[in-house]
This record gives sequence, C-alpha cells and structure tokens, in this order.
Amino acid sequence: MSAQPKRTEAGRLRVLVADDEPPIRLLCQVNLSIAGMDVLQATDGEEALELARTGRPDIVLLDLMMPRIDGWTVAQELRSDERTKEIPIVFLTARATANDRRRAEELGALGYVLKPFDPVGLAPLVTDVVDRCARGESEQLRRERPPELWPADLEG
Amino acid sequence: MRSPTALGWAAAFLAPAAISALDALSHRPSTQLAGFLYLFAVSLAAYLGGFAPGLVASVVSTLGLAYFFTPPRHDLIPNNGDQAGGVVLFFIVAILISQLFERRRQVQREAEAASARANRLQAVTARLAEAVTPQQVLDAIVTEGVEAAEARAGAIGLLSHDGETIDIVAQRGYEQNIFVGWETFPLDRETPMGRAILEETPFFFSTSAERNAAFPNMAGLSGPSHGLAILPLVVEGRAVGGIAFTFPREIEFDADRRALKATLAQQAAQAIDRVRLYEAERALRQRMTFLADASELLGSSLDYEATLAELTRLAVPEMATWCSVDMVASDGSIRRLAVAHEDPERIAWAERLGDEYPPDPDQPMGVPNVIRTMTAEFVPDIADDLLVEAAQGDERLLEIVRELGLRSAITVPLVARGRALGALSLIRDESAPRYTEVDLDLASELARRAASAVDNAILYREAERRGDATRALAHVDDGVVLVDQDGVVVSVNPAAARILAVDASEVVGETAIGAIGAWSEIDDNAKPERGQTRGPVTLPLVLVDGAERWVSVSGVDFGDGVVYALRDVTEERLLERTRSDFVATASHELRTPLAAVLGAVKTLRREDVSWDAEQREVLMDMIDREAERLSGIVSQILLTGQLDAGRLPFEDERFDPVALTKSVVDSAELHLPSGIELRVQAKDDIPLVTGDENQLRQVIANLVDNAIKYSPQGGDVELRLNRNGQFARIEVVDCGLGIPSDEQDRIFEKFYRLDPALTRGVNGTGLGLYISKELVERMNGRISVDSELGRGSTFVVEVPLAV
Repeated sequence: MSAQPKRTEAGRLRVLVADDEPPIRLLCQVNLSIAGMDVLQATDGEEALELARTGRPDIVLLDLMMPRIDGWTVAQELRSDERTKEIPIVFLTARATANDRRRAEELGALGYVLKPFDPVGLAPLVTDVVDRCARGESEQLRRERPPELWPADLEG
Repeated sequence: MRSPTALGWAAAFLAPAAISALDALSHRPSTQLAGFLYLFAVSLAAYLGGFAPGLVASVVSTLGLAYFFTPPRHDLIPNNGDQAGGVVLFFIVAILISQLFERRRQVQREAEAASARANRLQAVTARLAEAVTPQQVLDAIVTEGVEAAEARAGAIGLLSHDGETIDIVAQRGYEQNIFVGWETFPLDRETPMGRAILEETPFFFSTSAERNAAFPNMAGLSGPSHGLAILPLVVEGRAVGGIAFTFPREIEFDADRRALKATLAQQAAQAIDRVRLYEAERALRQRMTFLADASELLGSSLDYEATLAELTRLAVPEMATWCSVDMVASDGSIRRLAVAHEDPERIAWAERLGDEYPPDPDQPMGVPNVIRTMTAEFVPDIADDLLVEAAQGDERLLEIVRELGLRSAITVPLVARGRALGALSLIRDESAPRYTEVDLDLASELARRAASAVDNAILYREAERRGDATRALAHVDDGVVLVDQDGVVVSVNPAAARILAVDASEVVGETAIGAIGAWSEIDDNAKPERGQTRGPVTLPLVLVDGAERWVSVSGVDFGDGVVYALRDVTEERLLERTRSDFVATASHELRTPLAAVLGAVKTLRREDVSWDAEQREVLMDMIDREAERLSGIVSQILLTGQLDAGRLPFEDERFDPVALTKSVVDSAELHLPSGIELRVQAKDDIPLVTGDENQLRQVIANLVDNAIKYSPQGGDVELRLNRNGQFARIEVVDCGLGIPSDEQDRIFEKFYRLDPALTRGVNGTGLGLYISKELVERMNGRISVDSELGRGSTFVVEVPLAV
C-alpha cells in the first residue's frame, strides 16, 4: 500500500456491497468499516446499478443471485456503461461451479469470493484489488486467477 | 392217329383180298355183288387210312374185280367193251369214294386239330387266369406256351422303359446259364428277338442253319439243329417285347403251326398288357394313396422337421428302401434332417456314415448338386462304375456302398419360391424294382408338396416371429422405427409414433425424411454405415406439432435397412436440469447461512476489535438465526431422502385441524415480516381428521411460509377451513406473485423451483411443496393449487375426516 491509490475526499475507500442477504451485508459492513472504508449497501441488482452510477464506489462486491436483476446482468451493465466500466468488480457468491467462475472471468471480474468466506480478509482483498487497478495492473490481475478469500475445499 | 392209318393200309389189301376169295367159294358169283363188296372194301380202307389206302384198295379191288368176277373169269382182260367199261366205271367210283372219305377224314382231322389247339389255348388261358403277380403271368405264358407250341423251351423278353434294351423276364426249358450275360441285351437287329420287335414280324427258322444264315453271329451256338420261332408281342399296334420258342428238332412251320404261335404271342401280349395295366393301376393307386397320405401328413403340422421325418418313414418300404431328407441350414450347410429304413440299425449305421463322410457342397452329384442346381437326379440303374466314381478313390467307402446293393435312386430338390430348401432322396436296393419315370414324377410331386409345406411352415414361423416382435414392440416403451435401404419407413411402433408425434399408418411406406418432420436430424446424426451401429446420441427434435423433445437415438444397420431405437429423454433432461438446479440452489441455500454463521464467528473473534455488548448481540443473534435456517434446510433434505426411501415414520392420529392451523399461525406470527397479516377463518362444524398431526403441521407451516415469501410486497394471508364431504379442507390464500399456469403442475415436483435464479428474491430448496404433497398423500389426503400470475395463489389441502 505504498503508492496511494485514488481515494475519496476523506481518503477512504468506498465499497459497494450488493447482496440480498442481510447477514452478508452486515458482515461486510462491520469488517470493512473497521478497516476504515465506507460501505454502500444494495439489496438487489437494481439498487446496485443505481448506487454504482450515483455513489461512485471504488469497488463493487457483487452477489450473483439477487432479486430483480441478477449479478451477471449487473456486471454486464456496469461494464457497458462509460460511467461505471472502470469500477473493479469482485463477485461474492454461493455459486461454486467452474462454469460460474469462467463466466465471472469473462465478465472481467477481478475477484471471486465464494461463500462462506472469511470476512476479516475482505478488507485486505479490496485494498489489493483497488491498488493494483490504480497502478494499471487490472489486466494483469484479470489474467491471474482471481483472488479468493478461502481455499477451494469448501466447494461443492 | 397212327393206328387208323395202319388199319387203312391193312384194309386196302386185305379187304379186296378177302372179297377175291369169294371167287373160290362161289361157282357163279355175281359181278354186281362183288362190285359192291369191293366198293365197301375201298370205303373201309379210305375211311380208316385216308386217300392213299383208298387208292391202293381201289386199284387192288379193280384188279380183283377184273380178274375174278368179270368174264372171262381168271383173266384180267374183259370179254367185251361193256365189261371193260364196267371195270373202268368201278375204278372211277372207287377213286371217288376214296376221295370222299379222304375229305371227310381231313375235315375230321382239322376239327380235331382245332379242338386240340383250342384245348391248348384254353389251358394257357386257364393258367393265366390263375396267375396273380406279373411274374406268375409271364411264367404261365412261357410254360403253357411251350406246351401248346410243342416247343422244347421258351422265353419272353420285354422292352425296357427307355426302349433301349430287352429284358428277359421269363423263360422255361433252357439249359441253365444260357441267359447268363443275356438277362438284358440291346434292342437291335443283331438278335432274332430284337429284329422281331423292331420289325414287328415273326421269324420262323426250321433249322439252325436257316437261323444262322439270317443271324451269322448265332452260328457259334452248339447243339443239334433245331427249329426256332420268334414272334413280337404287339399291344395296341406297338411291339412291347418278343416271345421265343425253341423246338427239339428241325421243324416245318406250316400255316397251322404259325397260326398257333401267332395266337400264343397274341395271347401273351394281351396278358402282358393286362398285367401292365393292372400293375400301372396298382402302382398308381399305391402312389396316389401314398401321395394323399403324404399330403395329409404335410398339412397336419407346422413342425416341419417332425413332419418330414414322418414322411421319410411313410415312404419306406413301398416307395423306397432308404428315404432321407436333407435341409439347407441358415449358414448354407447341408444338414440331414431325417432318414428312414426298414431296419433301425441301418439308420444308425447310415448316420455314422454321414458323420464320417459329410456331404461336400461342391460334390458334382448327389444331394449337394441337386440343391445347388435345383434339378432332380434320376439314376434308374446304379451301375458299379457310378459307385466307383462316387467313392472318389476311397476303397473302404466303395466297399460299403457296394455292400448296400443300391439299385436305383431318385433325388429331388425341395424348391419353394425359387429357393432350394433341401432335397428328398429315395433309394431302392436290389430287393425292390427299379425306379421309373413315373416314380420320378411322383417324387417330384412329393417334393413340391413337401417344399410348399416347409415353406408355409417357415413363412408361418417368420410371420409369427414377426408378429411376436410386433406385439413385443407394441409394448416396448422405447420407440422402434424400421427404415429400409431406400429410406422408406417399414414399421413404426406405438412408442416411436408417440415420440415423433406421427401417425404410424400415415408414415409407413413413405420416405422417413418426407414423412417425419424431425427425421433429417436423426438421419444426419444417427444413421449408421452399412452393417454398423451408431449412437446413442441425444438430439433435440422439433416435431411437427412444434414441441421440442430430447430424444436419444441409436441406429443399427442390418443390411436390408436400419433399425432406429428412440427414447424420449425430455423428462430425464428436465429432471437432470432441475436436479442440477437443485444442486446449485441447495449449494446457495446452504452456503449463505453458513457464510453468515462462519463470518459472524470470525468477526467476533477478531483480536483487533473490542466489541460492545450490542454489537456482540447482533452478531450472536445472526449466528442463532442462520444456524436455525441451516438446520431447517438440512432437515428438509433429509426428510426428502426419507420419503424417497419410504422410511419416514407415520403416526395415525385423530386431531382437530382447526386447532392445528391456529397453532401454526401463532408460531408464524412470531417473526412475521412487516406488511403481512395472517388470518384464520374456520367453519364451526369441522370434525376431527386422521393422519400424522406433526406432519400436517409441517405442511401447513410450509404453505404459510411460502405464502409469506411469495408476497414480497406484503398483503393478507388467509387460512380458510371448511368441510368438503369426507374431507377437511384447508385453504392457504395469498395475494402475492402467483404462479404461471404452465408451472402450476410442476411445483409439486421434487427440486422444482419457480425461480431457480432467485431473481424474484425468494429462497428455498425446491423441496417444500414436494415434501408437502408426499406427506398429505400419505395421509390419504390431497393437495392442489389455484393461482393467477400477479394475483396470488390458493393452496388447498384436504385430509380425510376421522370416522
């Protein structure tokens, strides 16, 4: 974290957490706040898109299975919108198949966090992704296997 | 006949002499009286001895009359012209008398000869009448003919069936061995009998020299010179043979003798003709009987193996000494189906022989050849060189077949619809007569009928097999389509018609591609190479009715076409999809609360943060709730497993459904989302029901839970209880999202979820309604839904009343 990435005026990272499950949002909120980040919460896809456009987050933690608009569509929309296409996306999901993972990579995800995850590691992950993107290493990051919070032994 | 002639001669001299003696006795004898006496003497001599003695008596008497009784007495020369005229007149009268008697004698002799001939012929006729068998007839002709012809020996030769040779069929009186080597000889002009037959003319040779002059090749025959008569036996203008008479010595064949021989020959010919007719008729009757029996037998059963075996037994011994049937097996080899012989030991022996010398399909003669060429083989006479050829240098085999004494053989092919099915063989040994053309005809007819019967049996079996196959295919769930080489549909079983959404009767006979909408897809992906198998492949077929089906197709080419096996795997694919959806859903459903519980624990254990009581309580509460949720999901999955295995215990209780419903609602009220209101509306007169109270509680709780979940915008959820006949009816009514009508049938299926991607924000494993349905039905109740998209749903549970 030597090079300071782009920050909000207050110098705090702003993280958009989009998940329909209140416990997950709560865990993100608690742990990211402790790391000094601002957390925007969306309870479905529609809200996520809205907040991404208006709230100018530094990163989006995106659930896949959400009411109204699912995470895949949200990611697509974000990618195709000039205002939001630079925002790094890290999926935060219970979907564990290789197919889902491949699809996430194709959509330009820079991280794939499989539930259950360690919420304590969430803040360092977010910082790392945001920093590398600020250094222009997003392509490199994308080519690497997206970082995960937990080893794959919980996968179905 | 001798003595009257001798007496005649005696009378010719003695009678005139006696009369002449009267001269000595009488002084003046009367010339007239003497003349009468002399005439009497002449008459006596002529009567007894015929013309010659009469003539002598006439001369003697005339001399006597002239010498003794005509003046001058004791002088031959008469006195005067009158007396000389009287003597001459006497002589003339005497001669006339002699002639008269001679003619009478001749007439008498002819009558006697005719009578004797008639007697002889009658004897022949009598013997012939007694004769029963053809051989007896022939023997009678020879024996009586020899007798009647006053011959030393006689023989009858008959033309063979082919007209090429003469067979000596009967003989009598010849030295033994004279016919050795001459039992059969060619019909030509070299022999008297051959010539007599060919020219239809009798030959009479009075002496051996005469015979030798006509037939120089017979000059070498030894023995004294003798007469020989040979006559053709002519029936209906055609010579069928000849009869020969050999006489003890040289003989003059007068007209009488010739006539007698001719009559004998004629009688013999008639007898032979009669015998032949009788024989032919008898044989015909026998054959007709045999053929009728055989036909009846052939028609009696479809078990042609047994029938043909029976047929071979029927043919023995009348038709054959040996009878066998060989059949062409499906691999083209020739298999002996049945063999019959009078002696069972012989059959076993023949079978061993057959094993030892299996038929060579390329053999130039015999059964393989008959089957290959579909042409009958007829060997009326099995000559030794034929056996030598057949043995093909195998000395032992040659010895064996020689010992069999085979005489005559017929092998006919069993041909039906242009195909040789096998062959029928008839063989006679030396104990039976040779086969004739008639037998060949009979065998051919028999073979035709047998082949037809076998063919029918085979066709019937095939039809039955095909029928069996069709019947079996009709009950097979897999679709079977048979397409011929030209791509024309030959058969479609009901399952295939269902899968392909076609009418079998409309597509059979049409090209598959033309008649079956999705066939090109099958043709492209499942059509095998010749003789090959392809598939199974699972293809999405868009059918004529527009429906899409997943069909697993495999094709097997069997040379004449292709059999396609079709299986509708649409259901399986749907199930597979719902199952994989379930895995994804269950994974999501489990991972989410697990993430919450684990995440909360990890968070609480952070060492860099000190939690106040309120923050700790929030996280602890979350752990509690999410752990509960996790446990609920796990028990749903376990419950499903138990239901599937039929291992869920079931209590049969009587309970009050109204109280139960109210208690479910009370529990639900405890964590009711905002905007939802629960109401219970129950009729008063609802009796107790039977079932498992706890399980029904789960069902109602699940329906209430669903009603709340699917009412994200809030609204009332109403529980209505009433009685419907012998059931208590519990309705759970919401005014939430509702269920699309095409999915209402499927929501009770295992793993089925209205919204697998959860875009409507409703979680669940897809097991709740499946479990509810299973539980209700185990209580002999029922569950159903009525819903309109956007207007809400009404779930109805009915459980039987307690009696």
